[in-house]
Amino acid sequence: MYIETRDLKKSYGEGGSFVQVLKGVSIKIDKGEMCVIQGTSGSGKSTLLNCIGGLDDIDSGNVSVAGTLVECLKGEKLSDYRRANLGFIFQFYNLVPNLTVRENIQVCEYLTKDPLNMDELIEVLGLTEHQYKFPSQLSGGQQQRCAIARALVKNPKVLLCDEPTGALDSKTSRDILILLEKINRQYGTTMLIVTHNNSIKNMVDHVIYLKDGEIYKDYINEKKVPASELEDL
Amino acid sequence: MGWILFKRAVRDLKSGFARYIALALLIVFSLFIVISLMGAADTIIDSTVISDRELNCEDGEFSVFVPLRNEEIKKITERGVSVEQMFYVDYSLNGDQVLRAFKVRENINKISLINGTLPANDSEAVIERRYSEVNGISIGDKVSIGNKDFTVTGIGAAPDYNTVIKKITDTVVDSRYFGLIFVTPEAYDELYSSGCSIASEEYYYAYVLNGAMSESELKAILDDNTFDVEDVDDEYFKEYWDRMTERKDELLEGIDELKEGASDLADGADDLNDGITEFHEGMKDLHDAVPDLTDGVEELDDGAAALETGIKEYTSAVDKIESGASDLSDGASALAAGTSELNTGADLYGTGVNELAGTVEVMSQNEVPYIAEVAGGFLDPAKALATGFAQIQTGIAGVNTGATSMSNGAYQLYQGIKTLNSNSGALKRGAAGLHAGTTALKEGVADLSDGIDKLYDGSIEISDGSDELAKGARELADGVKDFSDEANDLIDEVFNIDLSNLRVFINKADNPRIDSAADDVQINYSASIIFGILLVVLFAYVISVFIVHTIDQESAVIGALYSMGVKRRTLTLSYVAVPVIVTFISGVIGTLIAIFTPAGIPAQMADSLGYFSMPKMDIIVKPFVLIYGLVIPPVTAFIVNVLVVRNRLVRTPLSLLRNEQKAVRGKELKIKGLKFIPMFRLRQIMREIRAGLTVIFGLFMSLLVALLAINTSVYCTNVKNSYIDLTKYEYMYNYKYPTEEVPEGGYEAVAEGFKKEIYGYTFDVTVLGITKENPFFDVGELPDNDSDVVISSAVANKYNLSTGDIFTLSDDKGERLYAFRVVGICDYTASMFVFMDIDRCRDLFNEDDDYFNVVFSDHALDVDGGRLYSTVSKEEIARSSGIYVEMMGPMVTTMSVASAVIFLVVMYLMVKMMIDRSAFNISLVKVFGFRNREVRKMYLDGNFYIVAIGALISIPLCKMIMDYIYPRYLVSNVGVGVTADFPPEVYAAIFAVVIVLYLAINLVLTGRIRKIKPAEVLKNRE
Ligand SMILES: Nc1ncnc2c1ncn2[C@@H]1O[C@H](COP(=O)(O)OP(=O)(O)OP(=O)(O)O)[C@@H](O)[C@H]1O
Ligand SMILES: [Mg+2]
Repeated sequence: MYIETRDLKKSYGEGGSFVQVLKGVSIKIDKGEMCVIQGTSGSGKSTLLNCIGGLDDIDSGNVSVAGTLVECLKGEKLSDYRRANLGFIFQFYNLVPNLTVRENIQVCEYLTKDPLNMDELIEVLGLTEHQYKFPSQLSGGQQQRCAIARALVKNPKVLLCDEPTGALDSKTSRDILILLEKINRQYGTTMLIVTHNNSIKNMVDHVIYLKDGEIYKDYINEKKVPASELEDL
Repeated sequence: MGWILFKRAVRDLKSGFARYIALALLIVFSLFIVISLMGAADTIIDSTVISDRELNCEDGEFSVFVPLRNEEIKKITERGVSVEQMFYVDYSLNGDQVLRAFKVRENINKISLINGTLPANDSEAVIERRYSEVNGISIGDKVSIGNKDFTVTGIGAAPDYNTVIKKITDTVVDSRYFGLIFVTPEAYDELYSSGCSIASEEYYYAYVLNGAMSESELKAILDDNTFDVEDVDDEYFKEYWDRMTERKDELLEGIDELKEGASDLADGADDLNDGITEFHEGMKDLHDAVPDLTDGVEELDDGAAALETGIKEYTSAVDKIESGASDLSDGASALAAGTSELNTGADLYGTGVNELAGTVEVMSQNEVPYIAEVAGGFLDPAKALATGFAQIQTGIAGVNTGATSMSNGAYQLYQGIKTLNSNSGALKRGAAGLHAGTTALKEGVADLSDGIDKLYDGSIEISDGSDELAKGARELADGVKDFSDEANDLIDEVFNIDLSNLRVFINKADNPRIDSAADDVQINYSASIIFGILLVVLFAYVISVFIVHTIDQESAVIGALYSMGVKRRTLTLSYVAVPVIVTFISGVIGTLIAIFTPAGIPAQMADSLGYFSMPKMDIIVKPFVLIYGLVIPPVTAFIVNVLVVRNRLVRTPLSLLRNEQKAVRGKELKIKGLKFIPMFRLRQIMREIRAGLTVIFGLFMSLLVALLAINTSVYCTNVKNSYIDLTKYEYMYNYKYPTEEVPEGGYEAVAEGFKKEIYGYTFDVTVLGITKENPFFDVGELPDNDSDVVISSAVANKYNLSTGDIFTLSDDKGERLYAFRVVGICDYTASMFVFMDIDRCRDLFNEDDDYFNVVFSDHALDVDGGRLYSTVSKEEIARSSGIYVEMMGPMVTTMSVASAVIFLVVMYLMVKMMIDRSAFNISLVKVFGFRNREVRKMYLDGNFYIVAIGALISIPLCKMIMDYIYPRYLVSNVGVGVTADFPPEVYAAIFAVVIVLYLAINLVLTGRIRKIKPAEVLKNRE
């Protein structure tokens, strides 16, 4: 398995403010799969994603990504793991405000020895005409595309997206999804997409549904629909 | 690499251009000043070393009473030490100025010409630089001293007069009134012989040891030189000398007498001893004779006894004889009677015979009995019978007569013997008496013998005692002789100034005139290094606050970058880039301005050149200064910011992503009874504590600078005012050769110069013995002993002494220490005086009962200049004390302004940043409906408390720091005992200025708050 969690438990706080967020989550995702994680607000989707991304410690269980046991990594090692394997996309794009689009992408370019071709990527993401603009001069969709480009430029094995379309309108959302699909196909990037949007699950291989920190549903989507044909975005 | 992130930094720099420019300007200015000071210090210190070498600056100098004789000089020079005359004479000119004339130097302390040439003939001269500058004398001008005019051919400086002060104890240079002139030897002699000098010629020599001997060796050699009084031609000296030698002679005489007396005593004791020895010997003979005497008396007694016995025997014999004689007398009587009867019978018979014979006569002649024979036959026989019978009868008659006579005789014999016998009683008694006498004599002799024995013992003791007495007396005499030798030496020593030719001996290091500029700037150098770093730290910290602000704003971005594997180091470096760039560029600019513009190093050097007399100098920029200017700012900024930023970036990517307010300080803060706005304000303070602390730090730094300025100003003003206020006398005359009588209208005093060290510098402290009548010093009752003293507050301040303290002073030669106890401090800051009663002072220094060497007065006295070392007038004191204020004025102003600017900039930037940080919140509360005034109260007024509390802490703290630094480092080379204590108003004023500056900024920033629109909140979210 490419990404695998076994009996993953995670809690926050102590005493009165104690919350058991993940109550023993076990998932398995194949290499090159596009996977959607769904669930109600507060069900622990982001937490799960963060644990896989090594952004958060876990209480117990295992997380392995591309053969690496994430929970055993610390400090520089953890950083190296992320550097080597992961790309992140957030709901709020988190671009460096005083770097241009191109520069924002360049920040992550140096993280790998063989990055993707910058111009090609910019072209693919339709940012060519915006590449010298600053984030504040872009629309939300453009910013998110820039964030995706930044996450992709180092050609990560796994792309973790936390509500990538959360702040976007349906047209822009679709564009982004088409893009992700394209990338998945082109580079074989394994993708974990956390979303509230109910129709996104139709375009992916694998759907996981969380409820109160437990797996509620976990199934392989047999009838994949291309993103361009999704309804009700 | 992560270079792209530095682009971000550069853009950051651009967007915050105004604030970075403000900070950069401060850094440029700070470094400009610091580098200028350091460069100037380097230049002056190095140039001094170079010029000292080139001009062959002395290793030290000494002065003598009488110029050294050639052989005396040879004694030193032939061992390799160089010596050159530095004789001088002071001349007055233009009424109140003094020029000190020297011969042009040949080998030592050579003149460094700034302009022109050395004098080529007797009417040319070189003038010392500072004097020429201040008095506007240039080459070609005429200077007239004594009765001679000199044409100035050169302007120069001499290394032994780096500080051109008249007396070595002077504390301030006043080139308006005192300078040097160098003339040819001929002109010098001619000038002096004209007799118009203000004081007698001073015989100074400069020496260079050349490693040939040590300083103390040289001093010892010089100390041994004596001089012939006849060689001195100063009349005052001679008079003084005579008086001194008279005293000395008296002392010496006294000691001689003492010596003689002791010697006489010893001789007398010897004689006594001799007498006693003889007596003792007689005694001994006597003692020896006593047994003979006893024997004699005993024999005598025996004799007397024998005599008595003899006499007794004799008298008893006489007794017997008497009775014999009595018997004899009786017998004789009886015989006489018998014979008488016989006679009668014979008579009868005769008659018968006669009748017969008559008958016969008839026959014969009858008458002749015996011739009766003649008649005849019968007649004849009858006659013969008658005659025979007659004859018998006659015989019988004769026998009768004889018997009678015998009887008479026997009687008489008896009587005589009886008398004899009765006399023999007396004889017997006499003999007995004699015997008794001899017996008594015998006993007496025994007693006598005992007595003599005792006497003899006594005599032995006397003899021994007398021996010791004699020995003791000898020892005493020897002791007195030694004492007299010692006393002679001591007297020689006490009168050493007179005997030893050496008067002053001072080495280069102790000479305040030499290398003083280099000394003076040394502190600038060290202070600059520290102040420079402190200021850069401050500004770097201010920048770091901005950086932290940016980091807080961008925390989600940072989290995002982290989550993709960007390392902390890369991010840290990118954030630290701004301060490093800003400080580096500012440092470069500051350093360049300092080095290459006249406002930099040259201006700082001008400060020194405007006070010290120095040769021309080329600016020397040492690598350290360059390194300091170019490296210290970025490195300091780097360190400060890395420390601050790293702490911020150490958070987890997740917490950064979520933009967690790191445990917002003051959140849990809830004080009961506190209304909303004050509570909010308190929380705001806590939230912005970093900026608040930076404001305090900036306030602290600027107060440090401000207090340096104010301390200097107060110090100088104190010098000026207290010197003038506390100096009650108008004139103080220091005698070289005192008169016998105190001049009319003057108050005499005894002054002895001492040295005392503090913080690495040694100053002169004068022990001043004054009379009770002296009206110029308010010292109260002076103690009646020679160890308790009242000190002037100058001494107390300079040496940190207070009542009850014990301190020591060492004499000029550093050979003797005197300890004193402070029993009082008198408010007098103008001179470092230690007050004593004049008589105690005279006693302490073994001076005569009427000795004095200083006279104070409230008006000018008629005193011959030749008698004096110097005259100090109140006017002069006032003049020279004012120079401090003048000298320090520009520096005080510059620093005050600098400090205000530092405070304003730091304060402004910090508060502005606080507002920026809170802009979102401010617009939010505005949306809620808070009014501007309330917003100001919530967000701005808290700073008032920060500033006020910061000032309340910083002002006394900075003052304490300054009070520590000031005497130790900044005025440690100034022989002035003034404190820089502030009156309370000054503290209040400083506080008020801080608050006013704060309010000004507050006013400006209130406008800024007003400008924040409620709509901000809407567009503020990405
Ligand atoms: N740092 C934290 N400290 C305490 N509780 C936390 C923390 N992070 C998350 N939680 C809690 O964990 C639970 C799961 O949060 P998580 O962000 O995973 O939910 P989610 O499924 O992503 O919800 P949403 O769809 O609203 O984003 C929530 O109840 C949240 O309150
Ligand atoms: Mg979430």
